[in-house]
Amino acid sequence: MTRIRFRFARYDSLKHISHLDMMRLFQRALRRSGLPLVFSEGYNPHLRFNLAAPMPVNVTASEEYGEVFLAQEVTPDQFISALTEQLPKGLIVTGAFGVDRDEPSLPALVSAALYRAKPVAEPGCRVEPKDYREALERLLARQELLVPKTSKKRKKKEQVNVRPYIFEAYFKDAEDDRSLELYMLLQSGSRGGVSPFVVIEQLKKELRSDCNHKAHWELHREKLYQEQNQFLQPLSEGM
Amino acid sequence: MQALDKKIQRLLLQVQKPARYTGNEWNAYRKDHRDDLVKMVLAFPDLYEVGMSNQGVKILYESVNKRPGMLMERVFAPASDMENLMRSHDLPLFALESKKPLSEFDLIGFSLQYELSYTNVLNMLDLAGIPIYAGERGEADPLIVGGGPCAFNPEPLAPFFDLFVLGESEEYLPEMLAVLGNLKKEKLGRSELISRLSEQEGVYVPSFYEPVYKAGKLCALKRTGDRVPEVIYKRMVHDLDSAPYPTSPVVPYLQAIHDRAVVELFRGCSRGCRFCQAGYIFRPVRRRSRRRIIETAKQQIAATGYEELSLASLSSTDYPGLEELIGELDQALAGEQVKCNLPSLRLDSYSIKLADRLHRGRRSKLTFAPEAATERLRKVIRKNISEAEIFSALNDAVEAGWQGFKLYFMIGLPTERVEDVEAIVDLCQRIRQHFRHKAGSRIDISVSVSTFVPKAHTPFQWEPQLLLPMVTERQEILQKGFKKMPGVDLSWHDAETSFLEAVFARGDRRLAPALERAWSLGCRFDGWTENFSMPLWQQAFQETGIEPGDFAWRRFEYDDFLPWDHLHCGIEKEVLIREHQKAFACSEARPGAS
Repeated sequence: MTRIRFRFARYDSLKHISHLDMMRLFQRALRRSGLPLVFSEGYNPHLRFNLAAPMPVNVTASEEYGEVFLAQEVTPDQFISALTEQLPKGLIVTGAFGVDRDEPSLPALVSAALYRAKPVAEPGCRVEPKDYREALERLLARQELLVPKTSKKRKKKEQVNVRPYIFEAYFKDAEDDRSLELYMLLQSGSRGGVSPFVVIEQLKKELRSDCNHKAHWELHREKLYQEQNQFLQPLSEGM
Repeated sequence: MQALDKKIQRLLLQVQKPARYTGNEWNAYRKDHRDDLVKMVLAFPDLYEVGMSNQGVKILYESVNKRPGMLMERVFAPASDMENLMRSHDLPLFALESKKPLSEFDLIGFSLQYELSYTNVLNMLDLAGIPIYAGERGEADPLIVGGGPCAFNPEPLAPFFDLFVLGESEEYLPEMLAVLGNLKKEKLGRSELISRLSEQEGVYVPSFYEPVYKAGKLCALKRTGDRVPEVIYKRMVHDLDSAPYPTSPVVPYLQAIHDRAVVELFRGCSRGCRFCQAGYIFRPVRRRSRRRIIETAKQQIAATGYEELSLASLSSTDYPGLEELIGELDQALAGEQVKCNLPSLRLDSYSIKLADRLHRGRRSKLTFAPEAATERLRKVIRKNISEAEIFSALNDAVEAGWQGFKLYFMIGLPTERVEDVEAIVDLCQRIRQHFRHKAGSRIDISVSVSTFVPKAHTPFQWEPQLLLPMVTERQEILQKGFKKMPGVDLSWHDAETSFLEAVFARGDRRLAPALERAWSLGCRFDGWTENFSMPLWQQAFQETGIEPGDFAWRRFEYDDFLPWDHLHCGIEKEVLIREHQKAFACSEARPGAS
């Protein structure tokens, strides 16, 4: 049995799909691919497949990871071409490599994610950079950012402070026009985290300009990170 | 086009489940909109995840798109969040594949599965910018066509549709589109086009029939010309093996309600349950061969990657040689890790044996539909199964490891008495007690109770629905009865929803203005409890002078004209009358005897 990790990107046409739908999409593509898949034992065998981190709906991404167990040795090139053939436009496999069977699982590795968010003004409106920068300053100056916790089990409304999950957030000028791009390094993974949309909702509360308030955001996940000796390291470097 | 696409993209950031509107799924067709193609949209008046579970949609999609010279795209009813955005941004309803507005197609075909989706039909036409009344459409508007089970009594929708196609259309629809393509080449005007199509078998053009009312009753639908047929006969597939069937169905991104490969074993049903419309309108029984089923199953699994295969029909355990089929399927799909399942299990030992063989996972609940709890009432509806058989089948299931049952019943069936309703509680109580010591732990029972809706073309078509207050009363009997029964969980259909369903199932053209009014008052997705608003419907009926009870609660006499008397489903009226009389003869059997 071998274990293969692969890197992929998700583009616009597939960004509307939820994490569970992505899981199903990959599993069905793998089933169609003819690759020698491995299923778990037991009454309800499931495909031994995983994605590194759930991708929020409406977010594109350039460096995501998935992994799958195979019954026989398959070269990375064979793997890439077999899977690629079964993927819809909008998902592109950019690399694959074998991993030791004893390595921790992919989701267990992830501890942070870097997002790039771009505000796009409504027609007839202009993005106002100064307002955005000031709003972000005010947001980051706060010790506590309480947001309702979405727990399905308990009906009681709990609040959670997400401020500690924002490791970094800063605006950068975009290359194509004068609009801005917000970069956010956020905690993510099994030990808790915050959705980039939650941060943007919080940021909106600090905005003064009506134009900025009405803008919609295009989100992109740049990279996933793992913790190495108390430092964050892109997943790509550890692999 | 590009601009529309961009506009859509932007709105999708603001809606729930945007994947409902993106299209581009695996196996979806993308045909160029060449001028010489006949272009159709299949419109399903409910949410994407409901429509994509419908096998008819998949069959028609395949039957048209595999043919040259024509294309079919899909559209589903947008949820209210999307509708609001579309309206405020002036975005017309668009087809999923090309994102082109519906108004650019030649024909829009609505799949009419359920009476409570009618307001969605009007809403979709309106969102598409197409006049909702057929008489107001112009030369450039697409033809609006209806099909599916509700086309067997389409009268409440008559003024909104240009034509209906009666019966199964996987063979006829491509033929009709080809005819339409030829007629378009002749540059015929809209009315001439409709008139020429009306000459085809199975096509019903409602505007060619004038209703005649006497003393508040519909007493005839008079033809407006000699070329118009007096009776319209349904279209039907004769040989399932050669009829079109999807080999590479679309795989939705968003999980559909039924998200799996489906191979239909046979069409029609030989059981003859008297309440069941599908059992009558899909007659006679036609089988798909074992060889073709296995071949299709293999193709679908290879083309979709589905992990589950459903062997579908109205009563799958009636397929002759089912055990052999399952054995051969096991071999054919060996190594694919595909789970097979049989919907619509009967309550007999043979069915349990098969379920036992197929169902390898954890055994939670097995679903059955006894429909009625007394043997007398089961005889009336012709669900012929004795209480001894029920217990023996449940016994087998418990021994095979199932820990619970889901049981479907109906209330309001013809001849039903309060005792029959109390018997539902009693039967479940006895089932519980019977298995108290046998199952490893307590067995769980879910009881689901719906209200009987008399449907056209069944032996019960003359019967009124049970009066609304009595339905509520009988539901209360159940609620009270099950209240103190641990391990039994009761759910029931909203009585008012079923009432409205009966109004439209038995109604005629006089309902059309009320339907329009209800839609304009904001009624949508009336089949979804959270959306259904009886007060709005009451207002709509009141403002249009309709007494809905006159439709749901009217008893038709044998010599009354029925609103669907001009539509022929293949069963002669005499047969239905005979069955109707037999039902009442059964009624005299001693209640509760076993």
